[in-house]
Amino acid sequence: MDDCIARRAFLRLIGTGAVSAWAFPGMLPSVARAQTRELQSKPIPSSGESLPMIGMGTWRTFNVGDDPKLLDARTRVVKAFFSRGGGLIDSSPMYGSAPETIGYALRELGAPKSLFSAEKVWSPAGGNAREQFASLAEQWGIKKFDLVQVHNLQDWREHLPLLREMRNEELIRYIGITTSHGRRHAEFEQVMASESLDFVQLTYNITHRDVESRLLPLARERGIAVIANRPYDGGSLIKGLKRREVVPEWAAQEFACRTWADFLLKFIVSHPALNCAIPATTQVAHMNENMQAGSGPMPDGRARQRMVGFVESL
Amino acid sequence: MNEWDTYRLLDFVPFTREVYFRLLERVGESFWPLQFVGLIFAGASIWLALRGRARIALLLLAPWWVVVGVIFFLQRYATLNWAGEYIGWVFIAEGVALSVLALFGAAPAVNSTSPIWHKASNLSGIVIAVFGFIGLPATALLQGYSRFQAEVFGLHADPTAMVTLGVVLIAVRRAYRWIAAAIPLIWLLLSALTQSVLGIGSSLAIYSVIAAGLLGVAWRD
Repeated sequence: MDDCIARRAFLRLIGTGAVSAWAFPGMLPSVARAQTRELQSKPIPSSGESLPMIGMGTWRTFNVGDDPKLLDARTRVVKAFFSRGGGLIDSSPMYGSAPETIGYALRELGAPKSLFSAEKVWSPAGGNAREQFASLAEQWGIKKFDLVQVHNLQDWREHLPLLREMRNEELIRYIGITTSHGRRHAEFEQVMASESLDFVQLTYNITHRDVESRLLPLARERGIAVIANRPYDGGSLIKGLKRREVVPEWAAQEFACRTWADFLLKFIVSHPALNCAIPATTQVAHMNENMQAGSGPMPDGRARQRMVGFVESL
Repeated sequence: MNEWDTYRLLDFVPFTREVYFRLLERVGESFWPLQFVGLIFAGASIWLALRGRARIALLLLAPWWVVVGVIFFLQRYATLNWAGEYIGWVFIAEGVALSVLALFGAAPAVNSTSPIWHKASNLSGIVIAVFGFIGLPATALLQGYSRFQAEVFGLHADPTAMVTLGVVLIAVRRAYRWIAAAIPLIWLLLSALTQSVLGIGSSLAIYSVIAAGLLGVAWRD
């Protein structure tokens, strides 16, 4: 029965494609893409909820102050993100006006169901976790956050108990901690091992893989979801690759890798411990590239090794 | 790995090059044509400094530090960088310091009996002041930037610091020079580092101004 329905659906798809190709020849590729290239998701270990593998960072890129021209430009980036099935948007009080820029975009576009709001508590911003939560919620224009993380482990002993309280009050759904640039990994590991966390965020990309040895296995063992920041190493990694090299043919053949964004992001999210990568951009075209990386086949273990070898050989 | 080894200058600049240029442009747009008033004050201050009228030269500069502190840093830059609020207050403090120096401290450093360019500090002061006054905005216009994007004395931080540094080198005695020049020099260094990180070519000109400024301040005439 299921086979029969599947065959009918397949024939309908072929038929739709054939008619579309005849009536609207220019539209077929995008229709086909929309039907076959969905952004993939992975479950959050603590709940089983699905989270799209490509999210969106906002460090530097969304700090535009109250400039109307740039606020509109960033809104277009957020629109592209959601239109491609995006979910997680990550920000911090440390990122200047980024939370307000997100709030502006959400007011303009409406907050879609797929939005997974991720914020941080950052001690230098002043106030405790609850006060920062209230201020950030106002800036985003939302009542609850999906995830609040302790930024760079700062004062985590003080912030985590309060975040737990807020999770119990259902103001926050998940809590976590963050680090970046490979900083304070020993302490990070200790907190992961001793505290009840839903998420950790850390730097992981093809040139920064220190976390593979201890933190990622620990995350799997403890059932903690992992967000990878700095997937392009602050932009320098992808810019360097784009300047020097073309995407290797074997990557295109093995896992449909068309761009360097594909190459770098697929490497990250194909790690079994990783849930989501959060590249940041100011441009719609780059956002589209990023989102495309979360669809189609992913590299297996052997292909991942080959990818590392290729980048190290450059 | 030492944690400090992981920090890069880029980690301390929380906005992009595009946002930086828009900041300059929006200040220019919002206060047009105040640019001309600022330029008249800057030109007059340089001219008076060259004529040995140090007190009034400094008094003409002082209020513009308060203007830049408020409209550039407190109202705009601070929304992009938490440090902007502190820098804004430092600019206001420099305005107050220049006023105090003009009213109670400074005495003319220009010796009217010898040509002004005989002193190295005066010479570097003239070059810096003229560059900040007219060179910086002219370069921007020649490079194709709009009149709003051109940085000018009194609205934008860099030319305000440059003109002041130049006037201080021309007109303020050595003992007071360090006091009056410290904040302009520190700001110019911060600005040059920011622009280097953002890949903006004019950072090289600012580094040159800093070098000439330090030479002028330290030179024993």
